[in-house]
Amino acid sequence: MPRYNLITPEGTRDYLFEEAAAIQKTEQTIHHLFEARGFSRVITPAIEFLDVYNENGHSIPVEYMYKLTDYKGRLMVIRPDSTMPIARLCATRLRDAALPLRLYYSQSVYAQNRVLAGRRDEVKQSGVELIGAEGLRADLEMVSLAADVLSGCHLKPFRIEIGHIGIFNALADALHIDEVEREQIRLYIESKNYPALDDYLVRFGDSHEATVLRQLPRLFGTAQVFTQAQTLLAGTKAEETLSYLKKLYEQLCRMDCGSMVSVDLGIVNRTDYYTGIVFKGYIEGHGEEVLSGGRYDRLVKQNGAYVPAIGFAVNIDAVAHAINQKEPIARAHADVLIVAKDEEALPHAFELLSRYNEWGKTAEFFCDDAEKARAYATLRGIPKIVFLKEGQSEEVSAEEASK
Amino acid sequence: MKPIRIALTKGRLEKDTVALFETMGFDCTALHNKGRRLILPIPDANIEVVLAKAADVITYIEHGVCDVGVVGKDTIMEYGGSFFEVADLGFGACRFALAGKKGDDFYAGYAEKTIATKYPNVTRQFFEKKNMDVNIVKIEGSVELAPLLGLADAIVDIVETGSTLRENGLEVFEEVAPISARVIVNTVSMKLDQQTIETLIGNMERARKGEEVR
Repeated sequence: MPRYNLITPEGTRDYLFEEAAAIQKTEQTIHHLFEARGFSRVITPAIEFLDVYNENGHSIPVEYMYKLTDYKGRLMVIRPDSTMPIARLCATRLRDAALPLRLYYSQSVYAQNRVLAGRRDEVKQSGVELIGAEGLRADLEMVSLAADVLSGCHLKPFRIEIGHIGIFNALADALHIDEVEREQIRLYIESKNYPALDDYLVRFGDSHEATVLRQLPRLFGTAQVFTQAQTLLAGTKAEETLSYLKKLYEQLCRMDCGSMVSVDLGIVNRTDYYTGIVFKGYIEGHGEEVLSGGRYDRLVKQNGAYVPAIGFAVNIDAVAHAINQKEPIARAHADVLIVAKDEEALPHAFELLSRYNEWGKTAEFFCDDAEKARAYATLRGIPKIVFLKEGQSEEVSAEEASK
Repeated sequence: MKPIRIALTKGRLEKDTVALFETMGFDCTALHNKGRRLILPIPDANIEVVLAKAADVITYIEHGVCDVGVVGKDTIMEYGGSFFEVADLGFGACRFALAGKKGDDFYAGYAEKTIATKYPNVTRQFFEKKNMDVNIVKIEGSVELAPLLGLADAIVDIVETGSTLRENGLEVFEEVAPISARVIVNTVSMKLDQQTIETLIGNMERARKGEEVR
C-alpha cells in the first residue's frame, strides 16, 4: 500500500515564510478595517453537522463537501462556507441580540474541486455579515466596505461589480417555468452562454420577458447599462428593482471608489440564498473573483422570524498572492544574535533577549557552540552578534566577526 | 496596454480561426510561419495567440493566463469549467452520437449496456438524463472497434459524415448533441477588458457572417 506520509492532500498546501507573512499581513489589514467599522469577530467550528448546510432549500451541493461521521454515525462536513454557521449562531446564542449585528470571521473553507484543475480545496476567507439591516444604507455600507478592503490592500486597479438577483427572479417568475428550466436559464446567463440561451428561450416565443432574459447577460458595464436596461425592463416587474440598483450605483459613483464600480445584470450566483443585491470584486492577474457577496434576507432567523442580512467574503489566499507579486515581503532575519560563551552567562543571555525585544529589536538565541556563531550569523544575514561571558559582554558586527 | 491573449485549439479549429482573423484584416504572418514559437503576436491588433491542445485551452482560460479561447463544444462538454461561452463560430460543425452495429435495437431488453467512448463525462451525463445505468469503458483510439470486437454494445463518439461508421457496418442510433467551435472568455478579463473583448468578439461574429468588420 502506498504511504502518503510526505505529501499534503490534493488542493491543500503548506505556506512558508514570505507566503505566511503575506497572509498574516493581509488578514491584519482586513481585520483592522472590519474592527474599525464596528464589526466583532466570531469563530465557528471547522466541523459542522451536514444539516447546517441543508437548511430549508439553501443547500450547498453535497458532492462538493468533505464529509465524515461522528462517533454516533451522524454525517458531518468540514465547513464549506462561513455564512450558514453564522445563521446557526443567530438562531441560537444570538437569538435575543439587539440588531443590527456586525460580525466578521476569518477562517478557512473547504470544498472538493475537480481534480487536477489547479484549484484549491482549502481557501482562507475573511468576511463580514451585517445582520438585521436592510435598504439602501445597509447595501451601500457593505459594497463600499468591499471596495475599502481592496483599496486598503493596495490592489488598485480593482473592480467592484454589482447586480441584483431580483431582476432575474422577476423575469423568470413571469415565464411560469419549473425549477429545472429556471436553473438551466440561470446557468446559461451565469456563464454568458449567449448562443445556448438564445436557443433555449426560443420555446417561450416572443414574450417580452424572454426577450429581456436573452439580453440580461449582455447588460454589463457602466452607466450606459442602466439606459439600455430601463428601456428593456419597462413594464416588467423588474423595473422597480432596476431603479433601486441604479440609485445604489449612483451613490457609489459619488464616492472615492466610484471609478472602480461597474454593474452586471447577469450576475446570478449559484448559491441560491441571495435575495437582493449581489456583488463581486476583481483584481488584475487573478482569473476569478477575489471577493463575493450579497443580500440574503431569507436565511437568518431569530426566534423563528427571518432577519434581513447582507455579507461578503474575501479570498485571502488570492489577495495575499497578489500583494506578494506586487511588492514581495522579504523574509525577516533577527537584528542580533545572542551567544553565551559559557553556562554561567546563560541567565544574562535570556535577560538580554527580552531587553532587545523591549527596545523593539528582534533577537535570536544561539543554541550551539560559540565558535560556530559567526558562520551562522553570516548564513542567516544577522548583522550583529553579542558574545556573553560571565560578567562581561562583547558586541561584534557580523562583518567584523566573519573576518 | 497589456495585449489580449487568445488561445486557439491546434489543428482544424486553428486553421479556421486564422482564416477568420485574416478576413478581419489581422496580419497573421506569424501564425503561418510559427516555427517552434509557442506565443505568436498579431502586430497592430495588440493580440498574442497561443496554440494549445483543446482541453488546455479551457485550463488557460479558466486560470486567466489567456483571455479568450476558441475551442470545440465537445471539449467544453467533456471537461466543463467556469468561463463565459459567448459565441458560436459555426465552423468545426459535427455532432456527438450514440452508434452501434447496424440493425441492433440498442434500448431493447433489461441487460446492462456497455458503452465505449473517448468522452466518459459526455456519455455519463447523456445516460444519467435517461436514468439508465450503463457500463462506460474509456477507449483512446478508434472507438468503432469496440462494438465490432464485442467489447461494447454501442459507442458515443464524434460523428462528422458518418462514413467511418458505415464502412464498419455501424450506424447512428441517436444524436447526443451538436458540436461546433465556441469562443470562451475568462470571467475576469471580460470585465476588466470589456470594450476590447466585446469589439473583438463582435468582429469575429460579423466576419463569420460575411458582414463588414468595424
